[in-house]
Amino acid sequence: MFFHIVLERNMQLHPRFFGRNLRENLVSKLMKDVEGTCSGRHGFVVAITGIESVGKGLIRDGTAFVTFPVKYQCVVFRPFKGEILEAVVTLVNKMGFFAEAGPVQIFVSKHLIPDDMEFQAGDMPNYTTSDGSVKIQKECEVRLKIIGTRVDATEIFCVGTIKDDFLGVINDPAAAA
Amino acid sequence: MSVASDSPVHSSSSDDLAAFLETELDSDSDSSSQSFPIEEAADDDDAEVTNHRLLFYLYLQALEFKCVIRSLNRVSQSSFRLKRRKLEHLETEDVASVKFIEEVSEASSSKLPCQHPGTFGNMCIVCGQRVEEEETGLSFTYIHKGIKFHQDEVTRMRDIDMKMLQSQRKLCLVLDLDHTLLNSTILRDLTPEEEYLKSRTHSLQDVSGGDLFMLEFMHMMTKLRPFVHSFLKEASKMFVLYIYTMGDRPYARQMAKLLDPKGEYFGERIISRDDGTVRHQKSLDVVLGQEKAVLILDDTENAWPSHKDNLIVIERYHFFASSCKQFDHRYQSLSQLKSDESEPDGALATVLKVLKQTHSLFFEEGGEDLSSRDVRSLLKQVRKEILKGCKVVFSRVFPTTSRSEDHPLWRVAEGLGATCATEVDASVTHVVAMEVGTEKVRWAIREKKFVVHRGWIDAANYLWKKQPEENFGLEQLKKQGTEEGEEEEKQ
Repeated sequence: MFFHIVLERNMQLHPRFFGRNLRENLVSKLMKDVEGTCSGRHGFVVAITGIESVGKGLIRDGTAFVTFPVKYQCVVFRPFKGEILEAVVTLVNKMGFFAEAGPVQIFVSKHLIPDDMEFQAGDMPNYTTSDGSVKIQKECEVRLKIIGTRVDATEIFCVGTIKDDFLGVINDPAAAA
Repeated sequence: MSVASDSPVHSSSSDDLAAFLETELDSDSDSSSQSFPIEEAADDDDAEVTNHRLLFYLYLQALEFKCVIRSLNRVSQSSFRLKRRKLEHLETEDVASVKFIEEVSEASSSKLPCQHPGTFGNMCIVCGQRVEEEETGLSFTYIHKGIKFHQDEVTRMRDIDMKMLQSQRKLCLVLDLDHTLLNSTILRDLTPEEEYLKSRTHSLQDVSGGDLFMLEFMHMMTKLRPFVHSFLKEASKMFVLYIYTMGDRPYARQMAKLLDPKGEYFGERIISRDDGTVRHQKSLDVVLGQEKAVLILDDTENAWPSHKDNLIVIERYHFFASSCKQFDHRYQSLSQLKSDESEPDGALATVLKVLKQTHSLFFEEGGEDLSSRDVRSLLKQVRKEILKGCKVVFSRVFPTTSRSEDHPLWRVAEGLGATCATEVDASVTHVVAMEVGTEKVRWAIREKKFVVHRGWIDAANYLWKKQPEENFGLEQLKKQGTEEGEEEEKQ
């Protein structure tokens, strides 16, 4: 799920950045530091959309660095247990399949794939129903439900299931082609 | 300055929103899916605070250490005061990561009936619960770095896999890279005589068809063994192929790209040093095939201490001079001689024949019941064909102090199907000797039996084929002037 929230961060800035462009420097450093990182509480920071306020700088004794408390608006992405997500399949093997939704990696085990779907080995491994009408393979899009999440410093791991109503393949570029 | 209280990430209203949503969603999924009762750890404030403090204390220590290292780099400003300052401002910068550590370590134990057959990032793949690190089982890092499976689940997968493979009439084959399928050298180890190779390398854009590659970014040059392309093509029809190398992961992936540019042979089944379970050893525990259906092709027998029966040892492929030097070979390397192994009769072609033979024994002979079939015994059976019908007597090969039946050469000869004896009689066909002039050798010459040196047995062992005896006569031994004196006691 995406959220547009306000976060705060203390930015350390070297005095060589002081001057007319101080604010711009502060913002570009903030973007570099924050965008693409994860936190357990907020999830993955997708983009900074605006700066709310830049507080008063505080000179650190002994060094010339200055700390600015910056409040910024950003879009974050955080998967939740029970959430329905759409993801692209990246790897299929006999244990199940891996899928990605942006920065989130999801594993759907064989146990949580409907029982009527059988694994087919080969150079394009896939899970196929007995009548061959539905096929999960690399690159196809699936709708799945998250049953567990873990957020690391740089990555988000999820365990998902497609063993439920209205879950499974939503489109298959290989079949369409 | 108290960092714990004014950490920048723990910010106001958005937190509450996120927390609220999470609880909402959790309770929602609780009611909808009864099959996964979710047991959320109750928020114990006191415990969390203590936990937080403890972590933070540890973290400070780590920071202190980091500071010391950093300040060592900057000798000019190494006063203690400065260090203190530095520590302080590092704290604010890195408080965010304290949070992560906390998140990760917060694992809830579960008393669910779920067996937790495997985990992905320490979450059970079936119920989504956090699982303790110790209970998670075998790591399959070559598939994904976060995935682990319990031993029972691995066995179950192997059984299912076995049935599937049998319906496709396939077995598993684990291949080593270095000295088996290819030979690599570091660029700066190239000798001046080998400089000519640099102009003969094949483009990396289209690797198919080439066999010599310059990998500038890895500072390496790689030569594929002759026949390797045909070998893989043929073998992939009979086997599910794995790569198992002692090289690191980037190297293994790169080599797989050279061998299999279309990704049709190996898929994700590339196991490197980083994925193994035991250091400096290779083991089949991360290979998803039943041991009775897995063959291994490697040049180093010692790498597979517990799977010697599955192993086909192949003659080492030394193309580059540096590789010869590494193994203490005094001979010129193939690159220095500007030659190469023969395509149709090279080691890989020989091994392919053995593989075909074993494969057909497994699937074609002895009826429909495949469950009792075992490649290990079949491989032995194939080996026993090599010197079948030969009766061998050894002369001045073994030391008198030990029982000749225990000598490795005796065992090898028996493994190859030869009958070994200690005394000569009319049924003896070969005398293996180390020098001319022993009683047994004189007897053999008189009786017109073959007299060969021990190389005849070693060669048959490596090449999976009975060698012409003329090439291993004692005269050749003299000409080469080999001084293998350590075993020259009369038997």
